[in-house]
Amino acid sequence: MSGVGQRKTKDEVKEALKGIAAEMHNKMERGVPPSMTLPVRAKTNIGFDNKLGVYKYGKKKSTRDATSLGSARQLLRSLHVTEFIEQMIDSGKSSTLREMYYISEAWGHGKFGSQNESNNLAEDLEIVTKCLREDFKLRPEEDGARIIGNVTFEERNRKGDWMRINCRDDVGDSGYGVPYNVESEKLTLVEEDVDFIMAIETGGMFDRLVENGFDEEARCALIHLKGQPARSTRRIMKRMSQEWNKPIIVFADCDPWSFRIYASIAYGAIKTAHISEYLATKGAQYLGITADDILAYDLPSDDLTKQDLSALDSELTDPRFNTGYWKDQINLMKEIGKKAEQQSLAKYGLDFVTDTYLPEKLKEIGLGY
Amino acid sequence: MGGPSGGNIMVDARDISGKQKQIAVSEFFEKNKHFLGFDSLQRSLITAVKESVDNSLDACEEARILPNIVVEINRLKGEDIELITQDNGPGIPRDAIENVFGKFLLGSRFHAIRQTRGQQGIGITGVVMYAQLTTGAKTRVISKIATDSSAVFVELGLDTRKNKAIKSKERREVWIDEGTGEEIRHGLKISTIMKAKYQRGKQSVYQYLRMTSIVNPHATISLIVRGKDGEVLEEGKWIRTSEKLPRVVEEIKPHPHGIQLGTLQRMLRESEQRKMTSFLRHNFSGVSVRAAKEVLAVSEIEDERVPKRINSEDAKKLIASFQKVKLLPPPTDCLSPIDDLLIKKGLSKAIDSRFASTVTRLPAVSQGNPFQIEVGLVFGGDISADGPIEVLRFANRVPLMYQQGGCALTKAIESIDWKRYGLDHPGGKGLPKGAAAVLIHLASTNVQFTSEAKEAVADNEEVFDEIRKGLLEVGRGLKNHLKKKDQRKKAKEKFELVNVILPEIAKKTSKILGRNEPDLAPVITQIMNAVFCEEELSWDKERKLATCSIKIFNYTARARAYTILLKWPENENVSMVENSNGGRKEARGIWAWRLDTLNPGTSTTISVALSGLSKGDWTDTDVFFRGNGDIIGATKIDEKILEEIRKSEALSAIRNEISESEIQEINDVETKDLEFDNEEEIRTDGINIFADFEEGSE
Repeated sequence: MSGVGQRKTKDEVKEALKGIAAEMHNKMERGVPPSMTLPVRAKTNIGFDNKLGVYKYGKKKSTRDATSLGSARQLLRSLHVTEFIEQMIDSGKSSTLREMYYISEAWGHGKFGSQNESNNLAEDLEIVTKCLREDFKLRPEEDGARIIGNVTFEERNRKGDWMRINCRDDVGDSGYGVPYNVESEKLTLVEEDVDFIMAIETGGMFDRLVENGFDEEARCALIHLKGQPARSTRRIMKRMSQEWNKPIIVFADCDPWSFRIYASIAYGAIKTAHISEYLATKGAQYLGITADDILAYDLPSDDLTKQDLSALDSELTDPRFNTGYWKDQINLMKEIGKKAEQQSLAKYGLDFVTDTYLPEKLKEIGLGY
Repeated sequence: MGGPSGGNIMVDARDISGKQKQIAVSEFFEKNKHFLGFDSLQRSLITAVKESVDNSLDACEEARILPNIVVEINRLKGEDIELITQDNGPGIPRDAIENVFGKFLLGSRFHAIRQTRGQQGIGITGVVMYAQLTTGAKTRVISKIATDSSAVFVELGLDTRKNKAIKSKERREVWIDEGTGEEIRHGLKISTIMKAKYQRGKQSVYQYLRMTSIVNPHATISLIVRGKDGEVLEEGKWIRTSEKLPRVVEEIKPHPHGIQLGTLQRMLRESEQRKMTSFLRHNFSGVSVRAAKEVLAVSEIEDERVPKRINSEDAKKLIASFQKVKLLPPPTDCLSPIDDLLIKKGLSKAIDSRFASTVTRLPAVSQGNPFQIEVGLVFGGDISADGPIEVLRFANRVPLMYQQGGCALTKAIESIDWKRYGLDHPGGKGLPKGAAAVLIHLASTNVQFTSEAKEAVADNEEVFDEIRKGLLEVGRGLKNHLKKKDQRKKAKEKFELVNVILPEIAKKTSKILGRNEPDLAPVITQIMNAVFCEEELSWDKERKLATCSIKIFNYTARARAYTILLKWPENENVSMVENSNGGRKEARGIWAWRLDTLNPGTSTTISVALSGLSKGDWTDTDVFFRGNGDIIGATKIDEKILEEIRKSEALSAIRNEISESEIQEINDVETKDLEFDNEEEIRTDGINIFADFEEGSE
């Protein structure tokens, strides 16, 4: 696994999890409240890692100790989850985070209050043990992406056989569905005949480009992100970029939330900064839609809401957007007070995006065809 | 009496009948209907119900009967409404019926000075008049007194020229209750038809009866309203929560401080006494022999002058000297407060809430008129949290439903900074907002209203101050309640943490690691690091005892020693029948226990049981402590304030002795020792004083 620490063996994972219990137990033996130490997961505690080229957590730590009821419950839950993961590892099963949430019903005082709590705790455990969620046999509920284009993968199916799939010839209109685990034990990147990979935020635009045959015309693979991209989506992009050495281009709406989608692909997400080097694709480029495009193409637009404005302000203090390009875009957007969707390009007809907009924009970044 | 305003109506009405002027009473009624309460169709119905219910309550009170009152309203054709009211009161003797229903402002009420409901209305005659004027209907009356073998059935109309009732269809018959089929032994039923309108809302018959039930917890009141087809439109039933009738109020003579020239001249004119000192002593309250002599000396009037011959110049001098000479305050047993415990019951009967705090202030005097303020506050539960709080205003147990904004009672509420007491009070102006209702009851021999409509109490500094003091007390109660609720929640969480979650964590880590379970005591001490106190009040159904248990946990690393003090509702009827730890009385309503040393990680429990209370009487209390180091869930006691309680206790003991003897006759006792200053009144039940301290320390 390039860029990521060695994947751990079952025993190593179990040992790492035991470390959590040991920290608590040792503290209690010393007569102090049990605790768990975690990095602060906020934008104030992420910094650029020069060596990895992505954003990682800084040095700020928070200690979750059993001096308040809420924290004590979290600790108890962590122990229940630890036990549960051990059982799954031993029995060769896996479960979704949602299933774990329901299983926790039987954990008495350790049960989860909401699905969100179980998701966050799984991430906490990753951070503390330096293992991956995949190591814990925990699957996300979230949908993986769809891919269309002339690229070929081998995926190991349920019977354990490797299946060869070409994402142009062997799939229907909905494309190849990316599985939740895209590590080498499950997926191999076989061959490609494309010049770049384009990640598209909305389903409507993905379908438009597929219908217009843009993948063949521009010699690219198209990936539908489905909003904020799942971990497996970011991971497969990272692998395609690294193993095939292809540029990643992001095509999204022009609004503050889309900017964050881009940042999570290019620099790493705040929530998963512990594994940024594993998920983020250094050098991914933002193609559009930009605030400049709204003016240059005179696109139909909506007024920014109060929430949009505060999201933009928050981005101005986010280290990931601390570049001249992003500051200009964000400030311009605030200035014109507008946002626009990808599909607003349809103002000039269904083919405008593939005939005019994308060729023009790609040419700007040296990917003209 | 009803003070200056009531007096004026009386004079008018009597002039009409007395001087035989050819003005019909109906004309008087027509002219004055706005302040008689018959100015709109909606209000007329409320007024009619009010006159009838007030009469029933007064009559039952005098006859010492627990009232059952039924009000029935039936919509007939057009705007006609049939109103039926029935009570289980003493009934009216046959010969008195004409007077009660046929004369405006029947005399007797207006001579004696005491607190009655009736001072606010024109009487049931107004209802008979209104019905006759609007629909021509006669008022049907059934009256049964216990000593008669049968009831009187009669129909009444009014001869408006002679201010007299006309009886018709009179008969005697056994009165059978339609519901039970049993004979009714005593009671009164009135039914009549009038033009009126039934409406729901803040100003409705329903609201009037609901409010009435709050301040008359000894009454059971029910209401049924039917539409034109007999369908039930609205229903209400308020069952009595107390078997205790309001005490019989004494009539008192007027106090010189409240007397006006006209009244004084009339009293002089009508007096039988031959000497001025005896005139003063026998016609006024609060005037001792010595004070009477002083008054005469100051006004330069000889004792030998015959009162009848005092001219208006001298009468004026007398009035002036009344203000200069030190007088005893008027007696206050002419007042009938509801009693804070009963208000609490009344409020809880009408409003479902989580917290109720009530205060009955000691009687005070304003311009020679004794008055007494009672305040109640309920919070939480079913009360709507949107919008301003509900204001429940009462004067002499009668609900005030109109002109809320212009009423001194409302203004007193608005003058408090409610934010400090935990209510939302935007801008500190107007009424506070939140899930609360505030009740104010003004009991007085002379309620001064802003107008003849008698719906808003007029501004009066002393009354205003007393209300404010009462409100501050209940406000502090609310604040304590909210603070305690918060503390309790936190303590509960900590207990769950160390007693449930932490042992589970230890069990899990031991299991996962295959190691022995650690000793948690030092961990618990470090997490809690405090002494906790939890009190629990409950009701022992079997033995009819109110119980309280106080548990003290020492979760610190050091041994602790404390004295724990408990506030309890001590009075003549309530006593501590069980007490696990002995201890001693610190002051009235405060019991103290000196605890043995409490070692780290240990706890101890004190339990007491009180007799003489009923369920729901003791639902909230305070625990105090004396000693080093805080206790979460208890308040450190302020010794100075404890001292004040003891002092005021001694003071009230002296006062009780005095009130038992005839104050008027004790002339050898120094007057100034007897005068109690209302401003400095210290209540002896403790609660509020501790709260005062807490506030001062902020």
